[in-house]
Parts: sequence; structure tokens; C-alpha cells
Amino acid sequence: MKHTLSKLAATTALITGLCSPAWAQVEVEWWDFLAGGDGVRMKALISQFNEEHPDIQIEGTTLEWGLPFYTKVRTSVAVGAGPDIMTYHLSRLPLALEEDVLSPISDADLETAGLSKDDFFEASITAASTDDGQLMAIPFDIHAVVVHYNRTALEGTEWLDDDGNLTNINSIEDMTNLLTWAKEQGFSDPLSFQSEGGGGTWRMFYTLLSQQGGEILTDGEVLAGDNMDKAVTAIQTLADWRAAGLIPEQAAYEASVALFSGRKSVLHINGVWEVPTFKDQTEDGSLGFEWFANEVPQMMDQPATWADSHAFAIPNDPEMTQEKRDAVLAVIGWMQEHSLAWAGAGHIPAYKPTVESAEYAELQPNATYVSLADNAAFDPRSKIAGVASPIYDAVDNLIAPAVHGFLSAEDAAAQMKDQLQGLLD
Amino acid sequence: MTAKQGRNIAFSALVLIAAAIWIFPLYWALTTSLRSENRIVSDAGVWIDELNFSAYIEVLSTSKLPIWYLNSVGTSLIITVIVLITGMMCAYALSQLRFPGRRLLYLVVVASFMVPVPALYVAQFVLMSDLGLVNSWWGIILPQLIVPVVVIVYKQFFDAIPKEMREAVLLDGGGEFTLLFKLYLPLNWGITAALAIITFISAWNNFFWPFLVVTSESMMTIPVGITQVNDSFGVFYARMMALALLAAAPVIIGYLIFQKRVTEAVMISAGVKG
Amino acid sequence: MSIATRRRREVRDAILLVAPFLIIFGVFFLYPTYKVIALSFTDAPLIGEGNWIGLDNYIKLFSDRLFYTSVWNNFYFVLLTVIPTTIIALLIALAVGKLKGRMQALVLTLFFLPYVLPVSVVTMIWAWMLDFQFGILQPLIEAVTGKPVPVFKNPYWVMPMIAVVTIWWTNGFNVLLFIAGLRNIPDDLYEAAALDGATAWQRFWRVTWPLLWPITALVLTLQLILQLKLFDQVYLLSNGGPFNSSYVVLMQMYREAFQLNNGGYASAIAMVLFGIIVIVSVLQFQLLRIGGRRK
Repeated sequence: MKHTLSKLAATTALITGLCSPAWAQVEVEWWDFLAGGDGVRMKALISQFNEEHPDIQIEGTTLEWGLPFYTKVRTSVAVGAGPDIMTYHLSRLPLALEEDVLSPISDADLETAGLSKDDFFEASITAASTDDGQLMAIPFDIHAVVVHYNRTALEGTEWLDDDGNLTNINSIEDMTNLLTWAKEQGFSDPLSFQSEGGGGTWRMFYTLLSQQGGEILTDGEVLAGDNMDKAVTAIQTLADWRAAGLIPEQAAYEASVALFSGRKSVLHINGVWEVPTFKDQTEDGSLGFEWFANEVPQMMDQPATWADSHAFAIPNDPEMTQEKRDAVLAVIGWMQEHSLAWAGAGHIPAYKPTVESAEYAELQPNATYVSLADNAAFDPRSKIAGVASPIYDAVDNLIAPAVHGFLSAEDAAAQMKDQLQGLLD
Repeated sequence: MTAKQGRNIAFSALVLIAAAIWIFPLYWALTTSLRSENRIVSDAGVWIDELNFSAYIEVLSTSKLPIWYLNSVGTSLIITVIVLITGMMCAYALSQLRFPGRRLLYLVVVASFMVPVPALYVAQFVLMSDLGLVNSWWGIILPQLIVPVVVIVYKQFFDAIPKEMREAVLLDGGGEFTLLFKLYLPLNWGITAALAIITFISAWNNFFWPFLVVTSESMMTIPVGITQVNDSFGVFYARMMALALLAAAPVIIGYLIFQKRVTEAVMISAGVKG
Repeated sequence: MSIATRRRREVRDAILLVAPFLIIFGVFFLYPTYKVIALSFTDAPLIGEGNWIGLDNYIKLFSDRLFYTSVWNNFYFVLLTVIPTTIIALLIALAVGKLKGRMQALVLTLFFLPYVLPVSVVTMIWAWMLDFQFGILQPLIEAVTGKPVPVFKNPYWVMPMIAVVTIWWTNGFNVLLFIAGLRNIPDDLYEAAALDGATAWQRFWRVTWPLLWPITALVLTLQLILQLKLFDQVYLLSNGGPFNSSYVVLMQMYREAFQLNNGGYASAIAMVLFGIIVIVSVLQFQLLRIGGRRK
């Protein structure tokens, strides 16, 4: 109760604070799409920054992830009412360039932020730059999907090794066997993920496609050659699991998480960003079983896992003052230096000094899935791809229906090819 | 007790049960909001058996709900005041004065009923952008000032006021403004209150326009704000229901207090006299 | 005071009185109306200038499959809401009319209350009631269909369920109109009918129904126009999905303008909606007038 009262007091202080005049202070309007566990961590970082910087005040807004966020960004930047800084998915960079919403980041900007390109992994810098090498955003992390699993339930089975990590899952059949066993044990939806469409379904599909070495886009052609068959296989695998009741029907994002924490699923394939959610629940004892996370096992020809990056971007606004821009860059620099806290949200920081630190090496479960950085499968670099891109429409309107049996896998893949190719030509 | 009385009681009971079922969603939201998150997803008893206010405290302390209240109250009040004053003045002129273009104006106002307002949102958004009003109170307010029904209803009521009273004031040397504010308005306080309520409710509940024109969390009105945070609560159903009920509380309480007026207002706005 | 001076003063006062309304009306209604019409003939983005492209947007529109889906869904939704809500509201009004005093006030309050709620509150509550995993209505659905249904993710359930939510939300308004209509029917007509030995059923068809017809017509018209403007509930409950099975015209306008940056094309979509509403309301007005006369 004391805790809640102090929270109330803080709210009141915040409201009265808003009404009193602000002294010589730069206010930075910040937008992000971070919900759940990593949202909590980002909000903590923001308030820590505000406490340490009496001269800069971050005013944070969290908008709905995905299409709603990027719609707001696009329209508000177009009318000059955008934020001063925002989080942005690097998978969407080609679309951002097309929409012309980002302000280029110069070397001088990086210097103001106390950073240089060498502080980051090269792949991240490339992903954040235009084709001719102009930096458009400052990378913050790499995040992928992992398998969250119920260790308690798998205890003593062939699928858990002596260290308590997943093992013996080397093919789709192995996975199906595990899930069928779990179903018999009373797990109603053995493998949960956001199966309704959207990001969750895309990440599953793309992971399975990439594990076959398949690619969406080769030389400007969508699903060329045998990539088509690989896409069909990926969709068909999910559809078979659905038909057998091994994955949930039309699970929304929140529901897919709840299925796992509510012990209706034994495995949960979702982003590293849910690590803090389960960590927090483990710590306060509300989870009721032992949770852990591993890299998605190799079930097909090669190891591969869907991955993306969060970055900080400055929206295109010709009227932004230098003072404000400097404040924004100070925020970005500070965030990079404190990215260990962000790694606590499961992510792999893009900032090398953090990743190379001793504290990071000890961070669990991050340490067990470091290998996934080598097997990361990023979205194709194209204006049809990325968060809330035309590919996401195809996922909602074709892949998800096919997974649920409203459409055959072949038809879904063929129509996907047609639609996306139409947008490229 | 006669058979007829018995039938009446049975009938009343039946209707009451139907009404209770009708209101059940609100009751269920209340029940959910008063439970701890873990109980909600485990067992689902129908009765309120727990008075756990943590969801309310959590919502009030983590969301910007207080600021959204302020935005909603502020914009809705301004809209109501401007709509009533301008509408009343225009209706008075249409009803009592002869001037060129009078019939045309009235016709345009009546015809404007047929235009679906959301069809204009693209152009109105561009206009607000040109005026630099995107993401501001005025951006929310201005396009909502078009409420032709206010003009039409006022005109009908002004038409019904006997001419003799008007002549008396004019003979005393009063002008049109004196007439409007000293005679016509006081005679129509009832209708003014009704129109104010109906305008206020529709401004308060408008979702689509504020949703388009507002970009930052601190400018959002209640209906828009609560949809933006539901994702950041994740699977916390108690908090979502607490949020929904807190958002609805002002209109629910307002309705329960001014029930008669609200009912009257709805009927008048549809051109039906109760 | 000469008549001429008086006339002049009257016109001057009229201008002063009308001006505030007229300015607002002109700038924020008439001008945008003109602007939407003009934009619909251009390829303008949401913000910025476009080129005149004549009827191209309209031609494109009439070969756009999604547009046909949207129009069809709009009419499907009208079918699912307008008649049912009218019938339900009439039944409730008749029942409430039979009650007395406090009981009547209480019941009316309960039936009317949802109408004052913001749309997002309504959708949040119903999304929770119908939640696939934990919704309290799922056992009910399971009893009928044999298994729980994720209603807003199922192409067959989505529109009917949005209709149910909408009826629950807006029905109170119609109830009030019917109650007002019923109160306006003089009691002696019923008494006369009762003296003639008419049954309750006959009294309804011979007295209530014909005298209530203007109100019924009003309810039908208002509902029809209101439900054609469907957007909020769809955006909040299903976002047009699954697989576009709840996509409606305003949804398409919103996507084209604000997500795909096609201001011109979005304006053309808005114009078609405008046209549909004008045609439908004129048609309905005529039909109802004929229907009313025959009674």
C-alpha cells in the first residue's frame, strides 16, 4: 500500500509539475512502441535520464506497436508535428527512405552524442545506412525470437540435457513429437506464438523459411525458383501443427504470452523482449514453474532465426533547432552507455562496449543464446519488407488464413508472390 | 392478489431481468476490475467477491488518464459553448429577421445533414495541417464545431415564441441582441440545457477525429488515449477494465444526475417532442 | 424611425448574428467539402499538391476489388443492424411503457446507459467479454457451436458480432424515440379499441403500429445513415480483418489517406460514400413516405 501511495503521490507531482512553468530546460518529445517488459525497462531508463539531467526533460509517448505507430509517424512528420526522437525498426529503413521521414545522422552528430561508427557492429551500421552509406539512424540493439520453455514440465524427458537446455530437437518430426507428447500431458496448445497473423506469424514463417535457406527476395524477384516450395513447406508445417492442435488457434499477441505463463503451452516462440516479463514473474513467484529461453533449435537444413534491430531516429523536421538536436543526441549517447539495462530486456545491444563488458557476459539467459547473432535472418532489405510493410499485409491476409485452413499453402504462397511482385514492378 | 396483479408483477420481473442482462457487460467489467490479475485468468465466478483496487491505483499512477480527462473536458466544453452561442445567434436571425440569402442559408444548413462528416476528414486534416493546428486543442475543436441540428432546433423553438412579446421589447427600444439574450434565451433555458448536453456528449465520445489529429499522448482525449495504452498493459485485464470504467465514469455519473435532461435532449435532437 | 432605417438595421443585425456561425461553417465545412471534391480528381498525397488526373481515381476505384468488398461489407452491416435494432428497440419500448413509476425509470436507465459510453470503452468491454481464451461469453458460444470461437478473428463471425456490439451500444437512443412516440398516442384510442373488443394483438396492429410509423421511419432513416458511417468499432475490434472480411469504406479511406499517403484516392472513396448516403437516404425517404401513406 505504501508503494502504491507513493506512486499516487508521484502522479500528483507529475500533474502539478506539468502546470507549473518550466525553467530553461529543453524538452525532448520521445515516441516509442515498446510495450510489456521492455516497455517497463525503457520507461525506467527514461526516468533515470530525466533525474540525471535537469536541463533536458524527455516527454515519452508509447504508441501501439506496428502499423498504428508507423502511420502516426508518417502523417505527423509530414505535417511537422512529429516527435524529436523515436525508436525505429531497421527492417523498415527502406520504407522510411521511401517515405522520407528520417533526418540523416552526420559524423558531427555522432560526435555530439559521444559516439562513433566504430562503437557499433558493422552489420548494424550497414542496416542503418542508405545504400550509399549515409547513416539514417543510430542502432540500439539486435533482437531475435527465442524458444521460451517450461523447464519444470520438460524435466526428466529426452528433450532436456543435463544443464537444463533444450536438446534432441533436430527435425520438424522431433518437434512434432515433443508437442504431441505435451498435448498428451494436458498442455492444450503445446507451442504458442501469435498465430493470428502480424509480427508473430511472420517471425515463425520467416524462421522456418530461412532454416531451409529460403529467401523472399532474390534479384528483385519474389519467391524465385525453389524459394516458392520452401515457402509452401514453411506454411504447410504450421498448418499441420494447427490441424493437430499443436499450436493455438488465432492467438493474439497477449494471449500467446498468457497461454505460456498460464501453463497451457510448454514452448513459446517469441522475441527476446519477453525475457523480462518471465524474469519478473519468476522473481515475484507468480509464474509457478521454472522458465528458461534458448535459441530456436535447428529443425531443417541450417540454423536460422528471424531477427531485427531497434534504432533511434530523428524525424525529418527542417525547423528543429540545433539546441534541441544536441539534446536529442545527448539522449541517444546516454542510452547507448546505459544499454546494459536494455540488455536486461533480453536484447543484444548494438553498442560494442556494452557487449564486450564483463557484466554482459554474465547476463542470463542472454549468454546462452549469444550464438543466434551468427544465425540471424534479417528481413529482406526492400520497401515491401519490414515491420508494418506490405509483407505484413500478406501475412495477415494469406499466411495466417492458410495456417488456419481457410486456404491451401500453395495458393497462399502463390498469391503472396503475385501481390508483392506487383508492388515491386 | 388478483390474477392480473400477479401477471403484472411477473411481467415487471421479466423486464427487469432483461434489463439486468442488457447491463451485464458493464457489471462484468466492474467485477473484473476489482479482482487480482491472477484470479481473472484462473477461475471466473460471476459475483463481485473481491474488492481489490490495485488495478485502479495502477492505472491512475501509470497512465496519463488525468491529462486525458483534462483534454476531454476542455475541448468538449469549448465545443459546446461555441456551438451553442453561434448556433443560437444564427437560428435567431433565421427565425426572426428578414435578410437576403435567408432561405438559401437555411437550406444549406438542412442539406448539410446529408454529408457524412468523416468523408471530410481528409480535407479537414489537410486544413488543420495548413493552419499548424495538428496535435493541438484547436485542432481537435474546430472541425467539431459543425452541429447544424442546434441551429434547426433553436429555430423551431424561436419560431414558436409569440410575436407580441417581441414587439413589446422593440417598442421599449431594445435591439436584436437584447431580444435574443433577454427574452428568447431565458424562455428557452430548457432547450439550451438539452442541446448543451447532447453536444457535450457527442464531443466527449468522438473517437475518429481526435484519433486522426492528435499525435502525442499528452494531447489525447479519453476515448483515444485508452485505446493507445491497452497494448502496454499486455494481458492485464483488470487494469484494462479499470481503465475503461474510469474513462466512462464521468459520462455515467453525468447521465445518472441529469437523466431527465439527457432523455429530453436525445428526443429533441431527433426532432421528437417527448 | 423610418421603415428604411429599420430595414437596414435589421439586415445589419442579421449579418452580425449569422456571421460567427457562417464563418465557422464556411471554413470548416463548406471549404473541406469543396476540397474533398477537388482532391478526388487529383493524385495528391495526404499533405502536398497533386496533379489533375480527371476521373482516374474513380476508374481505378471501380476496378478495385477491395473497394467492392468494403461497400458490400457496409451494406451487410446495415442489414445486420438496422432492422434488428429497430425491432429490439420497439419491443423494449413497449415493455418499458407498460411499467410504472420508479420501476420504469430504473429499467429505462439500464437500457439507455450504454448509449452514453465512449466507443472505445464499449469495444474494450466487449473484447474482454468475447476474449477467445478467457471471455465470459465463450462458454455460451461453446454451448451452441461446440467449441470456443475467436469471434473477431473469424471471417464468418466478425461482422455479426460487431453488429451485436453496435446494437448494444446505440439501441438506447432508439428506445427513447419509440417511448416518446408511444406517449404521443392518445389513450382514448386504446380505450375505444378495447370497447370494440379488440385483442392486445389487434390493438397493436390497428392503433400502435400505424400511429408509430413516423417514429419507426425516423429510426430506420437515422440508423441507416449512422451505420453506413461505420468505422470506430471495426478499427477497434477487428481492424478490418480477418482477411479483409470486415473492411468497410471509411476504413479504406483511412488506410489510403493516412497509411498509404494517397490523399486523392482517399477523397474519391469519401465521395462515393457521400453519394451512397445521399442516394440511400433519398430512396428511403421516398419509400417510407409511401409506406406511411398506405397505413
